[in-house]
Amino acid sequence: MTATQIIIDCDPGIDDAIALLAAFVSPEFDILAITAVSGNQPVEQTVRNALQICELGGRADIPVYTGSHRPLVREAIRGQFHGNTGLGNTCLPAPIAEPEENGAVEYLVDRLGEARRTGELVTLCCLGPMTNLAMALCIDPKIADGIKRIVMMGGAYREPGNRTMTTEYNMLTDPHAAHVVFSSGIPIVALPLDATHQVILTPDHVKKFEAASGRISASVADLMAFWDRNQVERYGSRGGPLHDPLVIAWLLAPRLFKTKRARIFIEHESELCMGQTVADWYGSSGLAPNAEIVTQVDAAGVIDLFLDRFSRYNPDIAA
Amino acid sequence: MSRHQVIIDTDPGVDDAAAILLAMASPEIDLLGISVVAGNVGLEASLVNACKLAALAGYCNLPVLAGASRPLIREPVLGKYAHVGRFADDLVPPTDLVPQPDSAIRFIAERAREAARRGGGITLCAIGPLTNIALALRLHPEVAPGIRQIVMMGGAFAALGHRTPWSEYNIHADPHAADVVWRSGVPLTLLPLDVTFQALFTEADFSAFEARDGVCGRAMAELLRAYDRSDEKRFGRPGGPVHDAMAVAWLLRPELFHGREAAVGVTTCGPTAGHSWADFHGVTGQSPNAHVIDAVDEAGYRRLVTERIAGLGATREAPEGREIVA
Repeated sequence: MTATQIIIDCDPGIDDAIALLAAFVSPEFDILAITAVSGNQPVEQTVRNALQICELGGRADIPVYTGSHRPLVREAIRGQFHGNTGLGNTCLPAPIAEPEENGAVEYLVDRLGEARRTGELVTLCCLGPMTNLAMALCIDPKIADGIKRIVMMGGAYREPGNRTMTTEYNMLTDPHAAHVVFSSGIPIVALPLDATHQVILTPDHVKKFEAASGRISASVADLMAFWDRNQVERYGSRGGPLHDPLVIAWLLAPRLFKTKRARIFIEHESELCMGQTVADWYGSSGLAPNAEIVTQVDAAGVIDLFLDRFSRYNPDIAA
Repeated sequence: MSRHQVIIDTDPGVDDAAAILLAMASPEIDLLGISVVAGNVGLEASLVNACKLAALAGYCNLPVLAGASRPLIREPVLGKYAHVGRFADDLVPPTDLVPQPDSAIRFIAERAREAARRGGGITLCAIGPLTNIALALRLHPEVAPGIRQIVMMGGAFAALGHRTPWSEYNIHADPHAADVVWRSGVPLTLLPLDVTFQALFTEADFSAFEARDGVCGRAMAELLRAYDRSDEKRFGRPGGPVHDAMAVAWLLRPELFHGREAAVGVTTCGPTAGHSWADFHGVTGQSPNAHVIDAVDEAGYRRLVTERIAGLGATREAPEGREIVA
């Protein structure tokens, strides 16, 4: 089996970090690059965090690119549950590596253009606001033909929003970028809050990850412990929803997910509902579906999948 | 005197042609390149037209680059003169010149960052929708400090609109991009319809373009004759405006113009998307973000444009009794 070529566009972020660490030890992926974007933290910080997580995971070989420093049109807003640095209380050494000289948007234009020419299409994992990809599509719309599919975390359909009443954080931060991407015709798999709220990383799970994760167990435990929302009435238990890692899980084990095809629209004009994701479940719009929306997740299966992946950081098991 | 380092961001377009040729005819301007954007006409036709103009004026090494092929967010709207399309070969001769492979957006961003590193700044002469410039500003935080100023033909305040009753075309075509650029903090000079409607070109001016029998002057006269912009009902007298050239003319001869500082903004959504407003009386309490030109010495402007373009590549002397505008 040849590995799936992926680019991870992200704004780490605790859940981004968990997603990256899971991807690093998955031979199913050929990770071409990490493109960081302004989101949970300013872009300088998300780049630094991405470099630190690469070095933690022993994957300093993956190039990290600096993306857009703010959303397409609106002012930036930051994540609420990631602590001052974006990585909670996790203490990691300063990164040794530097980000690439070239910017993330230029990289996407060049690399996806190359994919279009060679026909070896690239999968994009979008874990943050979609500014980088939207800008690349504005600069060269033809790069859409170099993308096999976009697997994105974002949006909220039957579930209420997590940043406003209607809207999930990634969509609220750059609704215009999301509108550009969802209008592009590129095949999309969407992991909205409806899906991610089905997979709560509880304190019991955290203990298991700490026990499993070998040489990175202390950092994994710190990251995951900080993620506890302590909001039982909302999530049904202690813990926090495993948003971004579900993108990686879907790519590794789509059998754990049920999806439904629908046309997705992004509200980008109304302040009240700014960034709301609207799905046309029953063909009311007369427009063809542009996405597969994940509606159901086998939560226990996902946790087991990740426990297996994180155990690969344990040299005793790996050997 | 140090020369203005200028990139013209444009969607040519007949009046864009006048702006480009005026810049090429002016030693005060060091023309770094022409960045092309979809607007008046589609991107492909705009690129061909830009190349034709560069070849006509003998600027065969000038970078001409393709930018955004559509607006940031809204669906594309072509200009009122979209039927111009590619300039017909009998008006502007064909050329083998082709655009550079690089992106106009990256070109703008790189030139600005270079200028910032040298402690200088480039001037963007923006005479189309602002899509390219908005994207360049978002590409790197160091782009804005490398832009000394943006001189834009666009907007309509007291004059009301022309593409719709409430909007001028360059704003109407990409209001989100205008919003990004106008709020960027880069020094901004606006030449809205309020002032471009004050200078009307008639057959006398067209003949003046041809007075020295230069290829550029002849082409300009032919283009303006072919695409008549007069609207006597609206303007109350014969003749048509040549909007875009005013942005270049302001750089060359600011003393021909009068302007005021104002806070300006754009409506990006709703039924009047593309509307531009200016707070001339301090009602909003917002700090001014633009120098808005409201009056022009019409005769001086028409003479500057016609004489400079007439002389571009011309071998014949200026007619008796008329000086070349220095």
